[in-house]
Amino acid sequence: MAVELLTLLFNGLAYGVLLFLMAIGLSVTMGMMNFVNLAHGAFAMLGGYLGISLTTRAGVPFLAALPLVFVAVGAVGAGIEVTLYRRFYRSPQLTHVLFTIGLTFMAVAGATYVWGSQIAAMRVPDWLIGQTMFLGLQVGSYRLFLLLVGGAIALALVFGLERTRFGAMVRATVDNRRMAQSLGIDVGRVFSLTFALGSGLAGLGGALAVNFLGGIQPAFPLGYLLVYFLIVVTVGGLGSTLGALAAALLLGLADAAAKFYAPVIASFAIYLVMVVLLMWRPHGILGRR
Amino acid sequence: MAETLLAVESLSAGYDEALVLHEVGFALAEGETLALLGRNGMGKSTLLATIMGHTRRHAGAIRFAGRDIARIAPHLRARMGLAWVAQEREIFSSLTVTENLTVAARPGAWTVERVYAFFPRLRERRASMGNQLSGGEQQMLAIGRALTTNPRLILLDEPLEGLAPVIAEQIAQAIRRMNREEKLTTILVEQHAQIALGLADQAICLERGRIAYAGAAAALANDLATLDRLVGVRKEGARAISR
Repeated sequence: MAVELLTLLFNGLAYGVLLFLMAIGLSVTMGMMNFVNLAHGAFAMLGGYLGISLTTRAGVPFLAALPLVFVAVGAVGAGIEVTLYRRFYRSPQLTHVLFTIGLTFMAVAGATYVWGSQIAAMRVPDWLIGQTMFLGLQVGSYRLFLLLVGGAIALALVFGLERTRFGAMVRATVDNRRMAQSLGIDVGRVFSLTFALGSGLAGLGGALAVNFLGGIQPAFPLGYLLVYFLIVVTVGGLGSTLGALAAALLLGLADAAAKFYAPVIASFAIYLVMVVLLMWRPHGILGRR
Repeated sequence: MAETLLAVESLSAGYDEALVLHEVGFALAEGETLALLGRNGMGKSTLLATIMGHTRRHAGAIRFAGRDIARIAPHLRARMGLAWVAQEREIFSSLTVTENLTVAARPGAWTVERVYAFFPRLRERRASMGNQLSGGEQQMLAIGRALTTNPRLILLDEPLEGLAPVIAEQIAQAIRRMNREEKLTTILVEQHAQIALGLADQAICLERGRIAYAGAAAALANDLATLDRLVGVRKEGARAISR
């Protein structure tokens, strides 16, 4: 019983950390610019496919592919922000929604064209396959890896946002863009960097997710990702990093628990949790507005 | 005569299509303090926001340190030496007091240490978050945050508004020290006309977005008829603060 519960906790946290990596960029950029970027999932998908191509076709070792994916997807994100998104910050949010949904469809079609419509899987090193003993618990090696790497990045991110001057600039810009500008902070540049970082993390999360989910498909950013990301953002509270972390972990745990204890209702148990949480805290568990 | 630091020339501005300011013009010399007076809704805050670059400019020039800044982005104006203390203070609520002071600090005479010496109360609250401060503390922090950017011109929008008299007195003293001892060029918007005039060298009054009076602060302080007409000084019940 205790072992069962601990295993559940472990799996849920591993999944939660993964969701956090993929969704945190969306939360911060939505909080900062009020830009509704529904195409955020496309960056995660791109990261997943890039990871597959690098490891499977180009023969890059898995551990080396991860930082490459982060940098590449971050660069793509920055490019899209500068060339496209920047023009829409003053537009109404319906425009954001329509525009980014359109971009998502294009990304799905593009991925189908390049990588095909069937499920693509990633080859991971042998030491990440099978089970490992961790703190006296029999756990999946890949999930342990996910929890450790993802947890370290999540902690570094939260710490960096709380303790560095750039982090303070990001928070100041989320709090009050006009005043941040008036003090000499180049809000556009802060946003571009944040957007690139968020996209890169989504890409990294996407690459890590492939093996966890058993492969990805081009429709990945439309159904699955979009819904889960938006849950993390709304439940966590717009622009709140710790909120997003809490929401992602909660979501991961709820998902794992539901799949284990009540598989029949598992597919909608998540939404039940979300509804209850939002009734309790309409602006998110750590939201400020 | 000191050199002109700010020259506003036939400036018309507002929000979107609506004009609030009509052909406003004035000049401010380095080291001087200008009281910007007028009743509510006459365009005082809009003028400060326009100098900072947050409104839509329809015509006219804003020359700062000899350069027309009317088309320059707000953050570049700030880096040239403009600082704005907004009416609502607009403290960053998820930053600590110290972070509020350091987040946009630029090198110069005003360090965080010096701001803490200037407002000792802020040092006591340095680890508090921006949303945990009282109104007076917020105002001190808003001024201190502007000072750590080491500006050449500071725009103060009703810094005494809504504060308890004893706190308002402290803030007024701080402004006086900034002006007299530090020679910091200042534009001061204030409802309490006599206090503002006591702090200022020059004064202008806005009426429906136009300049209705421009002259020496001391002269306007004694011209109660004009003051009453443009600012409504009698209703206010002037609370003079000794020089």
